[in-house]
Amino acid sequence: MHRKILIVLAVLAFSLAAAAQSQWTLQQSTLTYIVTHPLHHIEGVSHAARGKGICQANECEFLIAAPVKSFDSGDSNRDLHMIQAVRGAEYPMVTVRTRIPQSELKPGTIHADLQVQFAGQTADYKQVPFQVTAEGKNLRLTGTIPAKVSDFKITPPSLLTIPIKNDIPVRVDMMWSPAE
Amino acid sequence: MNPQRIRFVYAVAILAIFIAFPDASRAQATGAALTGTVTGPSGQAVPGAKISVKDVATGKSTPAQSDAAGAYTVPNLAPGDYEISVSADGFSTTTQKVTVSAGASQTLNVTLTSGLSLESLGFPNSQTQANPQEQARLNRRTHMLKVHQTLGLITTAPMLATVITGTFAGGRVTSSTNRDLHVGLGSLTAGMYFTTAYFAIAAPKIKGEKTRGPIRLHKALAWIHGPGMILTPILGALAYQQKSRGEKVHGIANLHGPVAIVTAGAYGLALLSVSIKF
Repeated sequence: MHRKILIVLAVLAFSLAAAAQSQWTLQQSTLTYIVTHPLHHIEGVSHAARGKGICQANECEFLIAAPVKSFDSGDSNRDLHMIQAVRGAEYPMVTVRTRIPQSELKPGTIHADLQVQFAGQTADYKQVPFQVTAEGKNLRLTGTIPAKVSDFKITPPSLLTIPIKNDIPVRVDMMWSPAE
Repeated sequence: MNPQRIRFVYAVAILAIFIAFPDASRAQATGAALTGTVTGPSGQAVPGAKISVKDVATGKSTPAQSDAAGAYTVPNLAPGDYEISVSADGFSTTTQKVTVSAGASQTLNVTLTSGLSLESLGFPNSQTQANPQEQARLNRRTHMLKVHQTLGLITTAPMLATVITGTFAGGRVTSSTNRDLHVGLGSLTAGMYFTTAYFAIAAPKIKGEKTRGPIRLHKALAWIHGPGMILTPILGALAYQQKSRGEKVHGIANLHGPVAIVTAGAYGLALLSVSIKF
């Protein structure tokens, strides 16, 4: 009899644990794309990203998104050219989705598979390393997404007829806090 | 009562029941079950998912819930088309259609997608929706500014040649060949310059865009080389007339050279302002 009760309780506990859900919210972020040209080294910065993470059954799914227009390279003309080149009016958001085991959300290095949607294309980046540091209850993630112009079928913008390099790494610095 | 009459009364009674409760009769007659498993995006079971099975013909819904293993069963379904709606906390609601056959059990496994979306992040629709008109404006703007850039670069060649030939066309030199070459190059430069300027001025403006960065210097310098490019040929024409009459260049025509130098200098700086990072 006791055994049956224990089994029932175990099943109940499992189902409650499986149903339990926790969330993470992106508090602050700095996303920086880096463009290299023989005459220039350009960094476009956005602080306008928003993100959320939902954890369920020991897996957390994250979505981070930023308006393409929010990236500022310090020159309005260049930013407008960038928006045009990446078809930013047609595809106004850049989004990043990833799934991370909940147990890995602790200080150290994590490797995340990222799915990036940008300029109407989707690119996958496997095992991108991120440094995780704890700041109080919050977690700070820093890393670099090894993006390339060709991953998104973008015609490389050029200056004085010289095109930019294919590599456009995106530096990521995000502060996540657990939802109350 | 004779047996024939009894059979008739039974038949009528059964028929009446079937007419009064058609759904019950169908369910009893067929009793098909819909079973399946509800899983999340990575294949994990989703317990406690709410399942609603709607009979498309009658509009009647039957509720169910997934168990700890994500499994669900909806028994006694009449044959027909059904709309299955599955929802769970943290996931987007999924709706699927299924046709249930008489007597047979049907399996429908449902994979829920994450509830994360741009809307759930709080981005307004105005920020996330495509704007093809603005993209078309941006495309046209970029095209015109590329022509502006290319023509601007090409214009530097005759401009430089005009400045160089200017040193042989004025002063004590009286050769009309040098003057004519200078005038010809100057005219070519002016023509190319104003064509270049047209592509920048006529490029579509983007609403709400404030000028920031080195492009401000580029635009500010246009207020120097622009008027300079109007003034230089006028002063040049005066100097040319005076020189052709055998006179020494005098009066306001004397400013032709200095104005031309300032104009060419401002033009060169404007070119550098967008080419090299200061």
